Amino acid sequence: MLTAILLALWAYACIWDILGPVFFLGFRPLIAGFGAGIIVGDIETGMLIGGTLELMALGVYTYGGATIPDFTVGAILGTFFGKTEGFEVGIALAIPAALLLTQVDILNRFLNFIFVHRADAYAEEGNVKGFERMMQIFSHMIWGFSRAIPVFLAVQFGEDAVKSVSTFFENNPWFNQGISVTGGILPALGFAMLLKILPVEKYPAFLLLGFVLFAYLSVPLVGIALAALATALVYQQLKYRGQEA
Amino acid sequence: MEAAGTKLSRSDLTRTFWRYIFFSQMGWNYERMQSVGYCYSMLPVLQKTHPDPEDFKEAFITNLNFFNTNPVVGFPLILGAHVALEEAGASLETTEGLKVGLMGPLAGVGDTLVWALYNSIILSIGSVMALEGNILGPILALILVFIPYLAVRYWQFFWAYNQGTELISQLGSGAIMRVTELATIVGLIVIGGFAPSIVRMSTALEWSREVEVRGEMTTQVINVQQQLDAILPYMLPVLVTWLAYWLLKRGWSPIRVIVVLLVVGFVGGALNILG
Repeated sequence: MLTAILLALWAYACIWDILGPVFFLGFRPLIAGFGAGIIVGDIETGMLIGGTLELMALGVYTYGGATIPDFTVGAILGTFFGKTEGFEVGIALAIPAALLLTQVDILNRFLNFIFVHRADAYAEEGNVKGFERMMQIFSHMIWGFSRAIPVFLAVQFGEDAVKSVSTFFENNPWFNQGISVTGGILPALGFAMLLKILPVEKYPAFLLLGFVLFAYLSVPLVGIALAALATALVYQQLKYRGQEA
Repeated sequence: MEAAGTKLSRSDLTRTFWRYIFFSQMGWNYERMQSVGYCYSMLPVLQKTHPDPEDFKEAFITNLNFFNTNPVVGFPLILGAHVALEEAGASLETTEGLKVGLMGPLAGVGDTLVWALYNSIILSIGSVMALEGNILGPILALILVFIPYLAVRYWQFFWAYNQGTELISQLGSGAIMRVTELATIVGLIVIGGFAPSIVRMSTALEWSREVEVRGEMTTQVINVQQQLDAILPYMLPVLVTWLAYWLLKRGWSPIRVIVVLLVVGFVGGALNILG
């Protein structure tokens, strides 16, 4: 029970770290496994599981913000089961656990929209205290508990529970598909809100230009930004011609 | 355009910096990503630079707009420059232009430097040592995360702040209007490319039909997404963003738009129409 609670807290801390502090990069499997090794009293296994998963997953961490298999929880659970059942069992459990938690990650990133809508309401009232309280106390909870609870349950109820949950998702792929498609579409609203405050109707051509650069010419974003700067400078030079001192 | 601006104290800056360190991505969500973390970091400054309550409310609301960039390299640069602009009394249009114009490109640079290069190097070295049973592996990785990451963020924030203040003091007040226009144009072009790179929507629909080719019957499969791409790449992301924009313009609340997107996404995904 104590181990389950400590490992759950560690999972919480690992995800909390990447939401801002980045003090120990706890979401990376090497660190998550090392910490879990200290908790279960078997640093050796923690380093083995964490290190193995880290090298296995190295390539998937190249993008920020994307949803990827959750090797953090994988490393923590792998270390726990690896200590008693051996290294192979630990790894064999870590990978499905990581894949399973991918769906949880999408769900929690989605559920977090509660915060932004509460924030809108606080802003309308000009309620700084309320907003600050929400940020300080609640803003990491959905993310943290979405990792802490599965870790606690898996450690407490063991292998069978992990397997039966992963079979449910395997047998019902429509649920995963629905969630992941929704996750891709939702940023449309964020951009729409941004466009609403910008003078789109005054300068539609610029929006179109950015789209063409990206969609047809595949210019990377830095290139688009430089082209944007050049365009804006030329536009202003022509517009303010004759006004220069 | 507001007048001269408000002098900020050193403690306002450090408060914003530490709020950024602890909260930059807290509450991250698909709709507006890092917006609450950004707004929370800026609030101590906004409260000082917008003494009028109505004025402050507007700044509060505006700073909850969509925001996303690399949290380690990029975020503190934008934040520092934004603080400098606030101190100079820049308009919300200018500061939003700054955020929108810089967040996309800096996200690309930051993700490459931080996630792809630096992290991969220190963690693969640490892992190889750990697999040899050397406890220094993870410990080395921990040290090489904690110190450089804190230092690089501190430096970016104060560097951007100092540069921003200097730049602004050199410009006249008429120039601020031109900077605003410049930032707006850059922002619009960048959004034009940034939105389709982030919004993901494609169809998995396929049509198959029997056709006769030289007397033989064969099955021809038509992939709808390929047809759409041939007409206009990123057609569905553009359409869904435009739909959301159009609904907002018609006075729909963001919550109602979310419900629409949710239903479209979940039903479309579950039925395998979108994917």
